[in-house]
Amino acid sequence: MPEEYLVAQELHKSFNEQKAVDGVSFTIYRGEIFGLLGPNGAGKTTAIRMMSTVLEPDRGDVIIGGHSVRREADAVRSQIGVCPQELALYEDLSALDNLVFFGRMAGMSGKEARAQAMARLELMGLSERAKGKVDKFSGGMKRRVNLAVGLMGHPEMLFLDEPTVGVDPQSRNNIYETIEGLRDGGMTILYTTHYMEEADRLCDRVAIMDGGKIIALDTPYELRSQIGEPERVTLEDVFLKLTGRSLRD
Amino acid sequence: MFKAILVAIHEVRIYLQDKGDLAFSLLLPVVTFALMYGAFGGEMEFHGTAHIVNQDPGGSYSVRLLEQLEEMDSVDLELLSREEADGKLERSDLLMVIYIPEDFSAKLVSGEQTQLLFRQRGNGGQEGQIVASLVRGLAERMNQEFTVLSQASSSLAGREISRERIEIATQKFLEREQEHPLVGVTEETMGSSPDLVNQFLPGVVTMFVLFAITLGAQAIVQERRLGTLERLLTTRLSVGQLFFGKFLAGISRGFLQTLILLGLSYIVLQLFTPLAFIECLVIALVFAAAASALGLIIASIARTEDQATWIAVFLTMSMVMTGGTFFEISEGSVLYTISRVSLNTYANDAFKTIIAQGGSLTDVGMELGVLAGVAVVGLTISRVLFKVMPGGR
Ligand SMILES: Nc1ncnc2c1ncn2[C@@H]1O[C@H](COP(=O)(O)OP(=O)(O)O)[C@@H](O)[C@H]1O
Ligand SMILES: [Mg+2]
Repeated sequence: MPEEYLVAQELHKSFNEQKAVDGVSFTIYRGEIFGLLGPNGAGKTTAIRMMSTVLEPDRGDVIIGGHSVRREADAVRSQIGVCPQELALYEDLSALDNLVFFGRMAGMSGKEARAQAMARLELMGLSERAKGKVDKFSGGMKRRVNLAVGLMGHPEMLFLDEPTVGVDPQSRNNIYETIEGLRDGGMTILYTTHYMEEADRLCDRVAIMDGGKIIALDTPYELRSQIGEPERVTLEDVFLKLTGRSLRD
Repeated sequence: MFKAILVAIHEVRIYLQDKGDLAFSLLLPVVTFALMYGAFGGEMEFHGTAHIVNQDPGGSYSVRLLEQLEEMDSVDLELLSREEADGKLERSDLLMVIYIPEDFSAKLVSGEQTQLLFRQRGNGGQEGQIVASLVRGLAERMNQEFTVLSQASSSLAGREISRERIEIATQKFLEREQEHPLVGVTEETMGSSPDLVNQFLPGVVTMFVLFAITLGAQAIVQERRLGTLERLLTTRLSVGQLFFGKFLAGISRGFLQTLILLGLSYIVLQLFTPLAFIECLVIALVFAAAASALGLIIASIARTEDQATWIAVFLTMSMVMTGGTFFEISEGSVLYTISRVSLNTYANDAFKTIIAQGGSLTDVGMELGVLAGVAVVGLTISRVLFKVMPGGR
């Protein structure tokens, strides 16, 4: 029996009476890549913001590593790393300085932070540009730095919100490899995307979200099996079957 | 506390990264200083214009009076007709005009009394007063000449010496006397301590410190725009630490500009004693803290950078206007009561006490107390506001 690492219980969040997340519950096991798959506006980002202690849920709670995001936010923060959907970087600073600063905010010493920053940049294939200012980077490079920042401070769990949006193929492959490497190193990962092939390739289990609700949750293989020959159908077909809509709209 | 310092260093570092911004903010105090120095620092000698209506144009004594005035380096002469002068006085175009009466020379030749007429609006203005006293000095000298001349004439009376020769001899004697006076005056300038700079410097300094409000107001919205605010909130940095770090960064930026301005005044103008200089820096520091805290209050309610800037600029301008920065506010007036809520009032008073009146820090305890209070209360309020605003914590 795998160890439960994150448990979301009946999460609700509305903005101006509009339900963004509507009673979402799921469990993520330690060491897996859990995918949150759904079209734009499904409520993925809102769910991540609640899980990462940025946004207070209207109702429900999330337990991460045994700590409640409501009552023990500080304990939760010391276990998680976040890579937000929008870039969250100081453009006037170098990639290295960005990583070091967030490393220090995560509680590392200056020396530790510099060493880890260099290692992360190496991992992302950016060590040559370590001292370059972020605002001179290409979109894909910025995305990689954005991901690297989320890894500072050895988090046990990583939240990745659509890390490959608007990314060139080279950067995208680098990101995939990095994520798989992290999972193999024992990190627990929550990954959101609206690309079905991506979820299929990367995730151990996938929750399909639509209109703030989870409409299906299983391994990609099982999800595909439910609607036909698993080798012949895609997650795209699964979504179409479940909602009557195509995911791309 | 330690994390807050890291945040502050980080913030200052970003500030230093932007070379354009940096050059601008460092250059601004230097330019302001240069302007101030150019306006008040260099030539501090008096220079004014004597407006004169000469109703005795042909008279030898009126001509002599005008010649002597003309010889003075510090006075320019402007002759007016009577009508012109009266009109200008009436309209307050001029504040002081000197009238030489028609019978000026005639009366003097016959040894009678005569009167120069000083017509003035109000007190005649500072320039008018100085010109008047210079003219009075000349009249005094003429009097003296007449006294000496008449004494010489009376003691030489009966001898075969022409009046003309007596006059020439007395004149020569008086001239020699003037060139080598018994009681001389030597002027010695200590540094250059122009009063006007004394008056203006506190205002300029307080204005610069107030820039800290605008910069501080950007602190949170900028992070919000970059997305880094949310990211910081998922780290182990507490909101309290974040605010305190921003607060420290605001202080250092506000203080840096003041340091340049005061430093230049200290080195170039030699306005202060070393102690007064240090005391001014202490006031600037406390004032910068108060301004930084106000900036954070704005930062915690503003949603966009434009909003933050406009609120901050409005606040800064009203404080400059009502704080007696560039003009005196008399006690008891309505403006005086209003001025009590402007931070500038306290900072300005404190600077003036030190710079212009030679006071010490113990004389400005109340002002420092108010500013420090605003800093502490402001920081607390900003933290509370951030908590209650949507999306805050
Ligand atoms: N801060 C916010 N204020 C108002 N509405 C929001 C806010 N954040 C998200 N929403 C709304 O909530 C819904 C879900 O958005 P989001 O969680 O960003 O979806 P996703 O990440 O799946 O694209 C959308 O309809 C969006 O417009
Ligand atoms: Mg999203």
